[in-house]
Amino acid sequence: MTVALTIDGIGVSFAGVKAVDNVSMLVHEGELRVLLGANGAGKTTLMDLISGKTRSTDGRVFLFETEITNWSPNRIARAGIGRKFQIPSVFRDFSVRGNLNVASCTDPRIRSNLGIGIPRTRRQRIEEVLELTGLAEFAETPAANLSHGQTQWLELGMLIVQNPKLLLLDEPTAGMTQNETHKTAEIIKGLRGQHTILVVEHDMAFVREIAEQITVMHLGRVLAEGSMTAIERNEAVRHAYLGSYGISAEAV
Amino acid sequence: MITQRRLDRAAYILFIALILLAPLVLGDFWVNRIAKFLVFGIVAVAVSLCWGYGGILNLGQGLFFGAGAYMLAMSLKLASATSMQQGSDHPVPDFMLWNADPGAPTELCCINRGSFLWLPFQWQWFGVVMGILLPVLLAGGLGLVVFRKRIAGVFVSVITLALVLLVRLVVIDAQPLTNGFNGLTDLGTFHVAGFGFDPYARATYYLVAGFLILTLVGSRLLVETRAGLILQAIRDDQNRARYLGFDVPIYQLFFFTVSAAISGLAGMLYVIVAEFASPTFMDLSFSITMVVWAALGGRASLLGACIGAILINVIAASISETATFVEAWKAIIGVVFVLVVLYLPRGLAGFAQDFGERLERRFADSGKTTTPGVIPQAQVPRGQAP
Ligand SMILES: Nc1ncnc2c1ncn2[C@@H]1O[C@H](COP(=O)(O)OP(=O)(O)OP(=O)(O)O)[C@@H](O)[C@H]1O
Ligand SMILES: [Mg+2]
Repeated sequence: MTVALTIDGIGVSFAGVKAVDNVSMLVHEGELRVLLGANGAGKTTLMDLISGKTRSTDGRVFLFETEITNWSPNRIARAGIGRKFQIPSVFRDFSVRGNLNVASCTDPRIRSNLGIGIPRTRRQRIEEVLELTGLAEFAETPAANLSHGQTQWLELGMLIVQNPKLLLLDEPTAGMTQNETHKTAEIIKGLRGQHTILVVEHDMAFVREIAEQITVMHLGRVLAEGSMTAIERNEAVRHAYLGSYGISAEAV
Repeated sequence: MITQRRLDRAAYILFIALILLAPLVLGDFWVNRIAKFLVFGIVAVAVSLCWGYGGILNLGQGLFFGAGAYMLAMSLKLASATSMQQGSDHPVPDFMLWNADPGAPTELCCINRGSFLWLPFQWQWFGVVMGILLPVLLAGGLGLVVFRKRIAGVFVSVITLALVLLVRLVVIDAQPLTNGFNGLTDLGTFHVAGFGFDPYARATYYLVAGFLILTLVGSRLLVETRAGLILQAIRDDQNRARYLGFDVPIYQLFFFTVSAAISGLAGMLYVIVAEFASPTFMDLSFSITMVVWAALGGRASLLGACIGAILINVIAASISETATFVEAWKAIIGVVFVLVVLYLPRGLAGFAQDFGERLERRFADSGKTTTPGVIPQAQVPRGQAP
């Protein structure tokens, strides 16, 4: 199987504290990997390192064969990594469709964007994504008027329109109702196989619904890796979570 | 949405028709005056493009306007009759002689240390080309530094503001080259293929009106391109745009530079209509006034900003012009700005747009074509309205 994302001993420290410390990880093409860990474990920071938001001090990152360590964020995005943020961000003055239109301009150069209108093939893709994210009936709604859940789905849709090789989703269900969480799980399951996905999530019900492989982080390091059942049985994980929030406790 | 677009187009057509027909009912004096205001309309389009669409509040737009103005004024100064009467076969600006060291040669090449810079301006078209090129180079250089360094928001405003003040000082200080405080006056007429554009002639009015229409329609098309949409997206959320893969500084730089080029063009047209260039173009108050025009008309609307500029100036000119009034007017402008920012953030264009939407809803209701689930509100990005 082809490896989509290779992280090789990556690390960064803030003011002497190692937020991410020598993390290595392989994610295969088409895999859906869940990243677990308590608050402050370094999950977001790891995504920052992959997506170019934070410069690493050690280690390397590869997207397929290409080394992308410390590239600029826009270059990494162009290379095929789509990033969804913990706090959803969309273009509020644009309609839902307008947001997707902008995202669909995958050629970043000004000169190739001096035309008016979106080419037909891309428009088709936008319709598909509107269906997939359940936003079809809100296509003309200004993004500013969307509910929190819809905003999250729109941001997800903007990434999907770009057909990224790798999706980084930071807490895609944060602040969602149970219904919305379930729907998000459906959307993400719908992407499985076509996209390689790395998702950070706290909601165990959600994780249970979507997870194949899980990586657990603790204090900036990888603590364990494996299937849901393996992780639940893992002594180190149980130990680390004891007293904070237990995976097993929530699981039953 | 369709109604909105139609109203939008109607507004453009109406406006263009109006400025084309205005000279039919106006006397020469007013034709010249309105021509000046149309120039300000062009400037307001530049402000709207940069501020309303790009979110870059340039408080030094006067720098680019001034650069354009001086470049053409230098050529027209050399074309002036007075420049040929200084005892040389070649034109020499009169003020250079007044300021010349005793015994200095009365030639443009060497009458003072920097005067050779004026040499190529003997060709009017050199001045015209420089009138666009200089603002573009200035904006390009400035933008490259500012946007690459991800300086944003109010800091860009402060930097542009400081820069226009600095350049103003330099221009005043370089008295032997620029005639300092007095600026360049006594200019010759602008010629195209032997035809002279007299400031009070209708031809000059139509020259300005033509460029205004070109700028307005051109800018409108530009903001509707995908690049224009990306620029507005950057204005909304720079980070999101960056993580979608757009090189944010390049887009900001591009539109900042286009805006500067338009300002330079306006500066040149102003010189043709007003027959002078002066450091007052780079006064802080002038640059701020430009922003007020756009704010009142609606910064996120090219046509709105343009109308705002013309309207404010027509009102100012219609009321008597006593010295006390001029002072009072500055205060009025200040108050208008505060009121607009507080209560009419989308300017007059926002008003017109809301009206259009109400109309549209009524059409939709009577036709019973509303789709359930669609929120009947602004359906176009705010940036795209008239
Ligand atoms: N820019 C920064 N400057 C200083 N410290 C930082 C910075 N970013 C993260 N940290 C620290 O790094 C550690 C890891 O934070 P991170 O946000 O990656 O955790 P997380 O696993 O995403 O947590 P959460 O579940 O709360 O989102 C924390 O201790 C945090 O305070
Ligand atoms: Mg986090």
